[in-house]
Amino acid sequence: MITTATPEWLLQPEVALCPCGCIGRRRKANFVDKTLQNAGGLLLRTMFAEDAATRDGLLQRCDARAKLAGGAVLLLAAALVHDVRVLVVLYLLTLAVAVASKLGAKFFVQRVWLFVPLFTGIVVLPATLNVITPGRIVVPLGTWFGYHLGVTSQGASSAAVIVVRVATSISLVVLLTLTTRFADLLTGLRALRVPRLFVLVFSMAYRYVFVLLATVDDMYTARKARAVLDTRNTKRGRQFVAASAGALFGRAHALSDEVHHAMLARGFRGEARSLRVARVSANDVVVVLVAVVVSIVALGGDRVLR
Amino acid sequence: MSCVDTVMELRSVSYQYLGRFPALDGVSFTVGRGERVALLGANGCGKSTVLKVLDGLVFPDRGSYDAFAVPVTEDALEDDQFVTAFRSRVGFVFQNSDAQVFSPTVREEVAFGPLQMGLDSPDVERRVDDVLAMLEIAHLADRAPHQLSGGQKKRVAVASVLVMNPEVLLFDEPTAALDPRAQQWLVALIAELHASGKTIIIATHDLDRLEAIADRCIVFSEDHELVADGPTRAILDDVALLQRVNLVHDHAHVHAQEPAHRHLHGRGHHQLAG
Repeated sequence: MITTATPEWLLQPEVALCPCGCIGRRRKANFVDKTLQNAGGLLLRTMFAEDAATRDGLLQRCDARAKLAGGAVLLLAAALVHDVRVLVVLYLLTLAVAVASKLGAKFFVQRVWLFVPLFTGIVVLPATLNVITPGRIVVPLGTWFGYHLGVTSQGASSAAVIVVRVATSISLVVLLTLTTRFADLLTGLRALRVPRLFVLVFSMAYRYVFVLLATVDDMYTARKARAVLDTRNTKRGRQFVAASAGALFGRAHALSDEVHHAMLARGFRGEARSLRVARVSANDVVVVLVAVVVSIVALGGDRVLR
Repeated sequence: MSCVDTVMELRSVSYQYLGRFPALDGVSFTVGRGERVALLGANGCGKSTVLKVLDGLVFPDRGSYDAFAVPVTEDALEDDQFVTAFRSRVGFVFQNSDAQVFSPTVREEVAFGPLQMGLDSPDVERRVDDVLAMLEIAHLADRAPHQLSGGQKKRVAVASVLVMNPEVLLFDEPTAALDPRAQQWLVALIAELHASGKTIIIATHDLDRLEAIADRCIVFSEDHELVADGPTRAILDDVALLQRVNLVHDHAHVHAQEPAHRHLHGRGHHQLAG
């Protein structure tokens, strides 16, 4: 039998709160809150956006296996080339392919150059100085404890090689991921003899990022819906983050148990099996050949120019 | 019921999670071929655990479980031949479709089971196409699970089990979190599957749809014991029993506009007989 004893206070309005909100003081949203919200939103938008992969562009018409193989060859070539001019040509080529694949030059350049400073900035900047790379100073930076500090031409050219190489490599990867649906990418990995179990784990990790992301979003929204006090209180914020992380870990663990049961229930015994992959077409071979020829020309050009 | 007609039999099964949280206490029942059985009880009474035991996903601490007249134990399920036969004969539709739908696309999800059973790729592809068409989700074949609604995910989960053509289908709270239209579709599908000879076992506390999905009810108490087993109508008419197992409460009232139309307030809005 269910009995309900409603406490008296629950039957009264909260007199301390003015319904029109006139006694309130406006506060700007917490920086961490906004960052969390935007980061979550960005991740969702990025991962949901498979529209680029479905456009009728040059690379979208190619098979994922050919793109994977061709991309790997070109990545290797970019890693072996040492002449900045050759690297610049390779980079411009990726830009041209991006445009031909209807990705939009501005969008593509932004996507690539967002990561370049992140990956290379910390490494490259000190290497341009005469402290690390001795040579002819082209940009003097003054005197530091009696030592002349400046950017050397040798340091700058080494840095340029690294920066353009990273930009080219990232461009190749971005080209591949933007023009290929994730499921096709996995099929391509399987066709290239990547162990099936690895592909299975990779695909499931990708799959459940969405589920856990939705959980984080729910927890955050639930907290926000009840947050009356100043959410900028850092101690409270830290407590929330710690509690959320713990709760999320627990849910992830429970979910992993359920998923494992669901796999066992359909006969999984540790060996991943998958649908057969379609045969390689002549177009796919051409894509790989083009990548190989471009790589050979780039490496040859590098040898001639150095 | 003869031995041949019995597809599943639990004998005095007890189970505790982590060795200290009881989920089942001395549960015994049999399920006959072609039966349509509902496992009924309040939240946390052990319904889902029974389904997991029936599917050989957890094993009793005490008591025993036979399926198709063969003991189902951890050892038995390590046998390749037995596990393949058992998994292809018993299908389990989980309550949480997100846990069940784990592949990158709907097509691969539905193909997962038959591939594990060792079917050839052409056979698997034919079955997948057939079952996607049957459940009217062929247009979703290349979609990723995160692009599906709750109802669509449930259809994919059902398809991923049906494609293996199991004799026994276990459903855990199948209508939970579905909109009325999706619920109606699922109820109709269960009826259709039953009519085609499948044995159906459903864990639920949805009293509204009970008669539409089950002919027999096995009721569990909050003490994790089996307290009743009988025809659905008889169970629904036993208000005292339903109150005792916390499926309805005693706030029965008469609607002002419909004086003769009495209701019990339970988890659904169950109409009383008479």
